[in-house]
Amino acid sequence: MAVEIRANAIGNVAVRGATDRAEESAIIRAAQRGDPEAFEQLVRSYDQNVLRMALNLLHSLEDARDIYQEAFLRVYRNLPRFRFDCSFSTWLYRIVANLCLDQIRKRKVRKEESAAVSTGSGELDRFQFVAENRADVDPQRQLMSAEVNTRVQEVLDRLTPRERLVFEMRHFQGMRLRAIGEALGVTEEAAKNCLFRATQKMRSALEDFI
Amino acid sequence: MTCRQIQMNLSLYLYGELDFSQEEELEQHLSECALCKHALEREKAWHTALNAEHVDVPLELLSACRSELRSALPSSGVENEKPSSFWGWMGQLGFSPSAWSMRIAVTSFLVLAGFTAGRWIDRNSLPDGFYSDAASEASLFDPSTAHVRDIQPSGDNRVRIVFDQVHEREITGRTDDQGIRRVLIAASKDPADPGIRVDSVQMLNDQNGSDVRDALMYAARHDPNAAVRLKALEGLRRFVDDSATRENVTFVLQHDDNADVRSQAIDVLAPIAGKIELSPELADTLQEIVRSQEDNVYVRMRCMELLREMNVLPDVY
Repeated sequence: MAVEIRANAIGNVAVRGATDRAEESAIIRAAQRGDPEAFEQLVRSYDQNVLRMALNLLHSLEDARDIYQEAFLRVYRNLPRFRFDCSFSTWLYRIVANLCLDQIRKRKVRKEESAAVSTGSGELDRFQFVAENRADVDPQRQLMSAEVNTRVQEVLDRLTPRERLVFEMRHFQGMRLRAIGEALGVTEEAAKNCLFRATQKMRSALEDFI
Repeated sequence: MTCRQIQMNLSLYLYGELDFSQEEELEQHLSECALCKHALEREKAWHTALNAEHVDVPLELLSACRSELRSALPSSGVENEKPSSFWGWMGQLGFSPSAWSMRIAVTSFLVLAGFTAGRWIDRNSLPDGFYSDAASEASLFDPSTAHVRDIQPSGDNRVRIVFDQVHEREITGRTDDQGIRRVLIAASKDPADPGIRVDSVQMLNDQNGSDVRDALMYAARHDPNAAVRLKALEGLRRFVDDSATRENVTFVLQHDDNADVRSQAIDVLAPIAGKIELSPELADTLQEIVRSQEDNVYVRMRCMELLREMNVLPDVY
């Protein structure tokens, strides 16, 4: 079978997941020595999660973009001083969490949010791209999904910034409460209480759909 | 704990965030209380509903962010060290010496650069007034694909501009060609584009070789996109006699959060019309799945069916 491949000379370079801790340490050390490929690999290992987290928390493409840029620039500037006292992911999420919290507080996002966000090309429903990416296109499921989305959105709006952050990190990013506590500079117990409150609110909002 | 306390803690239980004694107490209670057991099912259901809304970030946004970050970073490494080798220098432009397609692209770029440099030298050897059409040099610059990295005045109203430019290349070849295969394997891990990953995996599906098998196993287990994982499982059918493959597909069957992917995994491990070799390990896995209250009817039915074929009663653990 013949195949045609169009490849970009810059970008689209395959990146192996740096899930293995030892492998990741080696990559971090290489980046600390100034290896740009290693730094790029580090970025690509985490950047989708960072962007998703910022997007979910801030509901603004522009803000998420700013958070992405600022977070990785801070990592870049401070990487030579990273001493492996905690995991790289904890350190990175600490930066991202603080940036998101600052952004939420500074811009009072909670009062301004709506399902529609402004982009360079006009208004865009933040869930439009969700539907487009779906493999299944069952209309009933899409309708249900849109309702769930709206309800999720409403309840997320009612969470405090910290509850929202903890819920995002535990439920969607799969982080352990201990790591979340470390990232947010609070005890594991405090993170647990935040998660507890968030799940109570989420349950009461979603129970009609199940 | 009372029923109310149990029900309040179900999410923490599902997250695995209760301490050991609380978890013991909760499980003990669940085994005796139908009401709380039902509440657990509802708790799982809203977690699942929420998970279903969890999707990839918009690819255009991710791509724009990466591009902006690349532009914002200094051109040398973290500690501003000069690159120590040619490939180190090329690496800053996003090239990797390990990628076969990148080498082709770099070679093409160098040919183009040599040609351009030749023209430049020719022009510089001419009297100043002769090259008044410097705009033709600038015509090489395409703002949609290029990024200016440096601008330096060089006196007498002239300027030196350094820019990176993306060059799109096409290669055509047979899928069993080693080079093509390496490109496809690399593309199957392209984090930016699930569409490219699906196509690459599809192309690899009728190929043999351990490199293909490893790429498919990686995709089946780690790809964030369910469509890619499904395609990869399809391709793994031809490797199912291999123990590493079976181990990976079993892992997918146990841990994938997408019911379609789990259904595909069980069909790969035990084809409906095929000869089935059921190992004790697989039997253990099937029992575990039945025991875990798998919510997908098809997966559950197939597990029970296979256990019956093995003369293992599903309710005997």
